Amino acid sequence: MSSRNRISKLATIGGLCTAVALVATGCGAGGPTSTDGAGSSSINVLVEAGGHAELQPIADQCKKDTGVNVNFVELPYDGLFNRLSSEFSSGTVSFDVAALDSVWLPSFKDALQPIDELFTDEAKKDIFPALVKEANVDGHFIGMPAWTNAEIVLYRKDLFEDAKNKADFKAKYGYELAAPKTWQQYQDISAFFTKDGMFGTDVKGGVETEYLTHVLQAGSPMVLDSNNNVVIDNAAHKQALDFYTSLVKDAPAGAAQVDWAAAQNLFNQGKTAMTQFWAHAYRQIPKDSPVYGKVGTAPMIGGSAGVAGVPGPWYLSVPKATKNADAAKKFVRCAFDHNDLAIQSDLGLAARISAFQKYQDQPGYESFKPLIETLNAPGTATRPATAKWQQIVDTVLVPMLQKAVAGGDSASLLADAKTKIQALIK
Amino acid sequence: MSTAEAHDDGGRTAAVVPSRPRHAGEAYRTAPDATESTMASQTAQAQQTIKVPSPAGGRKRRGVNREGLEAGKRSTRTILWILLAASLILYGFPFLYLLLTSFKTPIDTIAVPPTVLPREWTLLNYVNALGRSGVLASFINSTQTAVISTALSLILAVPAAYGITRYKTRSGRVFIMAALVTRMVPPVAIGIPLASMMASVGLSDTPIALSIAHTTISLPLSIWLMSSFFEAVPQDLEEAATVDGCSRLGALWRVVIPVVSGGIAVTAIFAFLASWNEFLFALLMTAVRSQTTPVVIANFQTQFGLDWGSMTALAAVYSIPVIILTLLLQRKIVAGMTLGAVKG
Repeated sequence: MSSRNRISKLATIGGLCTAVALVATGCGAGGPTSTDGAGSSSINVLVEAGGHAELQPIADQCKKDTGVNVNFVELPYDGLFNRLSSEFSSGTVSFDVAALDSVWLPSFKDALQPIDELFTDEAKKDIFPALVKEANVDGHFIGMPAWTNAEIVLYRKDLFEDAKNKADFKAKYGYELAAPKTWQQYQDISAFFTKDGMFGTDVKGGVETEYLTHVLQAGSPMVLDSNNNVVIDNAAHKQALDFYTSLVKDAPAGAAQVDWAAAQNLFNQGKTAMTQFWAHAYRQIPKDSPVYGKVGTAPMIGGSAGVAGVPGPWYLSVPKATKNADAAKKFVRCAFDHNDLAIQSDLGLAARISAFQKYQDQPGYESFKPLIETLNAPGTATRPATAKWQQIVDTVLVPMLQKAVAGGDSASLLADAKTKIQALIK
Repeated sequence: MSTAEAHDDGGRTAAVVPSRPRHAGEAYRTAPDATESTMASQTAQAQQTIKVPSPAGGRKRRGVNREGLEAGKRSTRTILWILLAASLILYGFPFLYLLLTSFKTPIDTIAVPPTVLPREWTLLNYVNALGRSGVLASFINSTQTAVISTALSLILAVPAAYGITRYKTRSGRVFIMAALVTRMVPPVAIGIPLASMMASVGLSDTPIALSIAHTTISLPLSIWLMSSFFEAVPQDLEEAATVDGCSRLGALWRVVIPVVSGGIAVTAIFAFLASWNEFLFALLMTAVRSQTTPVVIANFQTQFGLDWGSMTALAAVYSIPVIILTLLLQRKIVAGMTLGAVKG
């Protein structure tokens, strides 16, 4: 009987707990409801976790200016795409504004409201040309740039300024050791610093953007031309791939697996003398890193077509299905007006040229001038506007690069990639 | 031990005499050269057995532990210990590494090559992780969701499993197989439709919606687990209860459920863990109000980098309730695990 009593007590306690939990479920613990209804001054903004920090100071200011209260829904990068796909396909959305990676715009264009009225002439002048072009899909602007990024060159200033290194380098290569501006210089410096357990640079086989940057520098559009013809097997792509793989000998082993995180770790640990990396990384070097305070910045290097980079912008977009379109657009406009506030966040990125220029001469923001120069370079271009882009990257470009850095034949790899991409976009 | 085989110290298999009297005060062992396995040879070898003093006789038998259980020869025990240690390292080291990483400085967390112990211990990661907005709310949401999901699973699984095991019908067998088939569907395939359905009935972004989704994961496993536990309970017990005046449900409630309470504890733990650690449905179905901690933990990995320290700190804190729950229910779990082990 004692076990029966115990069971009864447990059941009672369990029942009470469940009842309490169910009552509490009515509102959840996170905050207000997802959608407060039409005309509400409270909006939900779906954002990738890293972007929240960028937008929080802006949201605080916008609440004062416009009365629009912002609730952020943070999701990890991969999960964000799945969530967006799920909600857009269902026709019911739990958010009023979404921060979208530039490569997603073509995929979600039909679910987003045009915001042409926000792209005034004055606004367009203050946005990098490549971003203005990318935000316009099928004749309508569907996203306002919130922040942008691009790869620049980070290098070990202490090593580059070392007198012995300077003398030795000049003796060996016949010119001064300085931040590289051309492919040849990048190769020479990489080879020079590859000694005594250190490497000149990294080679990232796990990500595609850097290779595509070199394609632009070689004078070709990335993968697809303006008519959506696959051009990945042209001479510029081969030249870029050959240059990319030529650096493997001066990079840490295992290049096929090196992605952004690994490359950033290697540089912050002092294992590489140079890296081509997204500009935000400059401000993210840990204070206890051996390279903290010893890093210099330079614009992206140039190939035969000059300097070029691939921007990595994020856009604020308003879904067609939102019931709070007015408040949502009010926030998007406000976010653009106060875009410079994002720079004070830990990540320190913005989208407006004027915002970057405002900080470019201040200490701690040495990455901004190279970033502006790279983003304004004539060869800089955004990734092809195709809904299949992510698939092309995941199933063709990255595997191709991994084989290439492992010693594969560039011509045959590119030819094979062409066939696969043609099949994907057919 | 009526028909089992034991191992002698000579490394040979020795058949234990089947007709050995219980509590005889002596244990019997065959001679080292007795390797035949047929009953006839065992009978012949019984005459060659040597007497080994039992623990009860004041002298400890070799290969027998304090509880009187035979643990085999030393080499076997050594191998078992090695396997146990290897399993412990395999399962325990990742958690230990996570725990140690949570005390590392930012540069230590990304050291190349990685270090196990922090060079400098810090609590800053815990301050950052727990100070992040939404963490406390996510803990509450995770608890709500897991409790509701576990309760739902048990409420549905216990009667379902009882019915299947006691009324051995064809439809019951089909049902239990069908329940297993639902586990074979990739969660993402049902996650998106589930999210749409919940939104259409006004339950989007609520713990109850997520609990229902989690129940779809834990219910099949719960039914299967409970079925095996009910199978282990002799029907004689229920029949005796009905003879004493219990109804069928009364016998279930007063007799069977107390007997399988260990099994219920095991099932509850599995259901709770399935919900507590679930990520995909939480990602698809929660937003401002009901986001659970696994999603918050994943948010430390951003497009701009991975905050290892804060991520591991929050993961370590998040694992504490489960560890406590497991310890609290440890006896029940062991009882549940062994339920039916002596059947037959």
